Amino acid sequence: MLEVRAIDAAYGDVQVLAGLSLEVREKEIVTLLGSNGAGKTTTLRCVTGLLAPRKGEVLFRGQPLSKVAASDRAGLGIALVPEARELWPQLTVRENLELGAYDKRARGRAAQNLDRVQVMFPRLLERRSQVAGSLSGGEQQMCAIGRALMSEPSLLLLDEPSLGLAPIVVEQMFEAIRALHASGMTILLVEQNLAAALEIATRGYVIETGQVKLSGTAAELRSDPKIRAAYLGL
Amino acid sequence: MKLPLPPWVRPRALIALLATCAALALGPLLHSDVYIHNLLTLTFIGIAAALAWNWLGGYLGQVSFGHAAMFGLGGFVAAKAEISMGMPMVFAWCFGGVIAGLYALVWGHPTLRLRGPYFSIATIGVGEATRLVGTYWDWLTGGSSGTSLPMHPNLKFTLYWYALALAAVAMAASYALRRSSLGLALLAIKSDVDAASDVGVSSTRLQDLVLFLSGAMIGVCGASYGSYFSYIEPGDMFGFDRSISWVLMGVIGGIGTIAGPALGAIIFVLLRQYLIASYPQLYLGLYGILLVLVILFEPLGLTGLSLRVLRRARPDLIVSGSET
Repeated sequence: MLEVRAIDAAYGDVQVLAGLSLEVREKEIVTLLGSNGAGKTTTLRCVTGLLAPRKGEVLFRGQPLSKVAASDRAGLGIALVPEARELWPQLTVRENLELGAYDKRARGRAAQNLDRVQVMFPRLLERRSQVAGSLSGGEQQMCAIGRALMSEPSLLLLDEPSLGLAPIVVEQMFEAIRALHASGMTILLVEQNLAAALEIATRGYVIETGQVKLSGTAAELRSDPKIRAAYLGL
Repeated sequence: MKLPLPPWVRPRALIALLATCAALALGPLLHSDVYIHNLLTLTFIGIAAALAWNWLGGYLGQVSFGHAAMFGLGGFVAAKAEISMGMPMVFAWCFGGVIAGLYALVWGHPTLRLRGPYFSIATIGVGEATRLVGTYWDWLTGGSSGTSLPMHPNLKFTLYWYALALAAVAMAASYALRRSSLGLALLAIKSDVDAASDVGVSSTRLQDLVLFLSGAMIGVCGASYGSYFSYIEPGDMFGFDRSISWVLMGVIGGIGTIAGPALGAIIFVLLRQYLIASYPQLYLGLYGILLVLVILFEPLGLTGLSLRVLRRARPDLIVSGSET
């Protein structure tokens, strides 16, 4: 469904990605792992179009994305839950969610999708007229996921959904992601929390300094001795 | 009778607008004071321009210090169309407006990628460059000696209703831009461009659209201003203090609110009339002080102030700034 082919990406003179390739197939939940500064978020920015790769290309359902503007990619069915949420803090929860359905493709079904999101996260229903900036971290994360779901994505990109959340909330978050996957959503999950990510993922990629260092099924990665030593602390 | 209105239109707001317009339209029949009549005409033009400036500066947060470029261009193009091509006045206004809107796109499409202060600095350059070119191009503007427009008997008197219609259109457009689903998208761009583009809100397209509308409306204001004074010259039409005046109106009334800039324009025009007459050397300085006070104590201007009073009077009522 999503194919990233040998992309290079840089901010000014600072090269972040060097020939990175990965693939997400239909109905999979793939996790992109790595430490700070490895290039995880940059990879997502290349997929959503906020950053243009210097080399290589990104394909979605076989179609190259280089000519598709960032704002048109939501219409193709790609939705991002950004790192640190990036909600519109002074808009209400309801308005944040409605903006998620801005694209023509999903606008007509905004009401049904709003119901679905609010059934999934009842907390958002309670808080619907509150401004998003006043929500707790976990609620903001729910709101960000809800906003992404409002566009009826076929590919959901999640950038560190566990960032800055209490352990119990992190667990709920992963539970929600698992449920989404079970309902047929294809997911690319970026995480620093390897143990939790590998538990729900089908496959994973470990990246370091902008390159894929290891890849394989979640079980393979979990039992890889290098991973166990370097990331899992076992 | 039930009117087929889009769901975001509040009947109360529509009635208020219609009632105000009706009262103002009938006003001149009740009094015969020419001074007030003309002052109101200028106020209406000021209201329309301040609202149009706010679409870009308030709704999108792209504060322009160069809107006089479109004001002047609209004015001179309309004058030229009326004089050389014999276009009827209102058509000439619209023509001037469209040209002004297109001109705004020419410089705005590239510069709107900049945000915040960077965009504002670029608009200062655009405004000043346009003023210089406008002064130099005497085939269009008549150079520094300016252009005289045809005078029709009674024109200045009837312009009152044209200007009122202009202000009403600008008010309705302000309401529509903010309250329709487009308004939410504009707020999204204002507060986080990247997040906006992630959900499919194209900042390029929407910013261009709003700038075009804003520039075109300002252009029509310039054209009607020209018809009112029947003599225009580049230094005044393209002047930097003219650009600043819309920023001031916005700030005084409440930047980014629907009706705030209209209030600001009323205060500004009336205050200027009084200050110029009483303290001609001091009036810009006094505006400066007013601006500082507003930003320090009530960043949402008069709108913020009235909300505060309303909240105190009716604590049970929940009013948010974005609703006004």
